[in-house]
Amino acid sequence: MMPIWTKSGKKHAVTLLKVQDCHVLRYVSKEESGGKTSKLLVGGKNVSPFYKSESAMEIFKEAGVPRKQKVTTFNVTDDAIIKPGTPLYAAHFRPGQFVDVTAKTIGKGFQGVMKRWGFKGQPASHGQTKTHRRPGAISTNKAAKVYRGKKMPGKMGNIYRTTFGLKVWRINTKHDIIYVNGSVPGHTNCLVKVKDSKLPTYKDYNKNPPFPTFFADGDEKLPEDLYDEEIFQFMDPSVTYA
Amino acid sequence: RISSDGKPAKFQPPPKPVIIDKQKQREERRFLSPEFIPPRGRTDPLKFYIERKDMIQRRKVINIPEFYVGSILAVTTADPYANDKTNRFVGICIQRGGKGLGATFVLRNVIEDQGVEVCYELYSPRIQAIEVLKLEKRLDDNLMYLRDALPEYSTFDMNMKPVSRLDHEEIPVNKLQVRMKPKPWSKRWERPKYNIKGIKFELPEKKMKEAQKWSQPWLEFDMLREYDTSKIEDKIWKEVSEELKK
Repeated sequence: MMPIWTKSGKKHAVTLLKVQDCHVLRYVSKEESGGKTSKLLVGGKNVSPFYKSESAMEIFKEAGVPRKQKVTTFNVTDDAIIKPGTPLYAAHFRPGQFVDVTAKTIGKGFQGVMKRWGFKGQPASHGQTKTHRRPGAISTNKAAKVYRGKKMPGKMGNIYRTTFGLKVWRINTKHDIIYVNGSVPGHTNCLVKVKDSKLPTYKDYNKNPPFPTFFADGDEKLPEDLYDEEIFQFMDPSVTYA
Repeated sequence: RISSDGKPAKFQPPPKPVIIDKQKQREERRFLSPEFIPPRGRTDPLKFYIERKDMIQRRKVINIPEFYVGSILAVTTADPYANDKTNRFVGICIQRGGKGLGATFVLRNVIEDQGVEVCYELYSPRIQAIEVLKLEKRLDDNLMYLRDALPEYSTFDMNMKPVSRLDHEEIPVNKLQVRMKPKPWSKRWERPKYNIKGIKFELPEKKMKEAQKWSQPWLEFDMLREYDTSKIEDKIWKEVSEELKK
C-alpha cells in the first residue's frame, strides 16, 4: 500500500495489484455452462507443470499456455469473447474506472466469538467467575433450540470476500500494475480477482474501456504510466492554492 | 643571515604542504535518506523500486536536503487558509518515521510558551521548500523526551538565520545533556528500553538502579532481529545518485 495525493493536496491510500502472466484459457458457451451468459476461463500466475496430473494439464495444453496457479471464471457477453491463449494486461483497465476486488481473506485459524463476530464479552472484574470472553446466552427459552447460523466460535478467515467500488487511480503499463483505491482483502502477494464494478452508482464511469481487451500487439502505443485527472503527478511543481 | 652566536643559522626546511583533496573527502561521505531503505518483510522488491522512482521524481522537483534528528529546519507549506497562502514553521526535528513515499518528520518548537509539534510528510505536494537552518546530530535517534524537558531546550527563533557550514566538514554531534522538568514524565525515559543518552538524569541512584530491572541484555545478541542493511544501502545509494545526476 502506498500514499497518493490529489491536485488539491488530499492524501489517499492505494493498493498496488500486479497483473502477472494472465491468459485466457477457455471459452464456455451459454448452453454448455447452463447460465445466463457465456463464460471465459482465465488463468493467473505461472507455476511449475510437474506437480499435477496429465488430465489437469489438458486445459493449459489446449490454450498453449504454461500451468497457472489459479483459474477463475468471468461471465461475459457474447460480443466480448476473446480467443483462448490471448494474454491479458493491466491496460485492460483505465484510470477513473471503478473495480471490485475479490480474494481469500487472511486466515486467522480457530477464533473465539469476540474476535470473530465482535461480541462484547463480559467485564474483567466485579465477581465474574471464569467468564470474560464467552458468548453468554445462545438462544431464548421459548425457542427451545439453537437457530441455524448462530454466531459461535470457529475457523475465521481464509474465505473469499469482495470489496466493491474501488477507484483505479493509476496504471503502469511497463510492469502491469494497477493502483486501486483503499484496501483489498488478502495478505501481501496473494492472488486476487479484479472485475468491473457491479454497483449501480458506477455504471456510467466505465465509459470507453478497451473492448474486448487491450491487445499488446495492436496499433495502440500507450505511455508507461497512465494517471487519473485528479492525481498529483510528481513531475509537476508543488501544489499552491490561489 | 648570522645568528647571535656568530655562526650561520642551521637551514630549516620549509613545512611540507598539506594537500586536502576536497573531491575525495566529498565522495567519502555518502548520505542515503533513511526512508529509501526498505523494511524487512515479504513484500515484492518491485514495489520498493516503483516507490523509489516516484520519490526520485519528487526530489528532482524539490530539493529535500540531508538532515538528521536534532537539526533545525524551516518548512514552507501551501495553506489555503493563510493570508499569503503559505505557512512557514521552524523547529527541531525530533523524529523521522515511515518508509517510502509516506516518510514523515516531526518538528518541535515552543511558540509563546506553548509547545507545538508538527508532523510533515516529506513527499507531500503541499510542501514548497525545506531549508536546513542548522545541520547537526544529537546523541539519540528520537528526541521525544524534549516534551518533558525544560522549555528552553525546544525554543528556537522563528526568524533564525541559517548557520553556514563548509561542505566537507563532518556533521557535528551536539553532546548536549538536557535537564528535565520534575517527574511525572510522559514516558519513563530512565528505563533502558529507550536507551537515551542525551538526558542529565538528576534522579536518586536508587531509582536509576530500579530502572535497570527492565533491561533486556539479550536483545543485542538476538540473531533473528539482525537486519544488515549495508549491501542494500550501497545498491540503493548508487541507483539514487545516478538518477539524481541525470
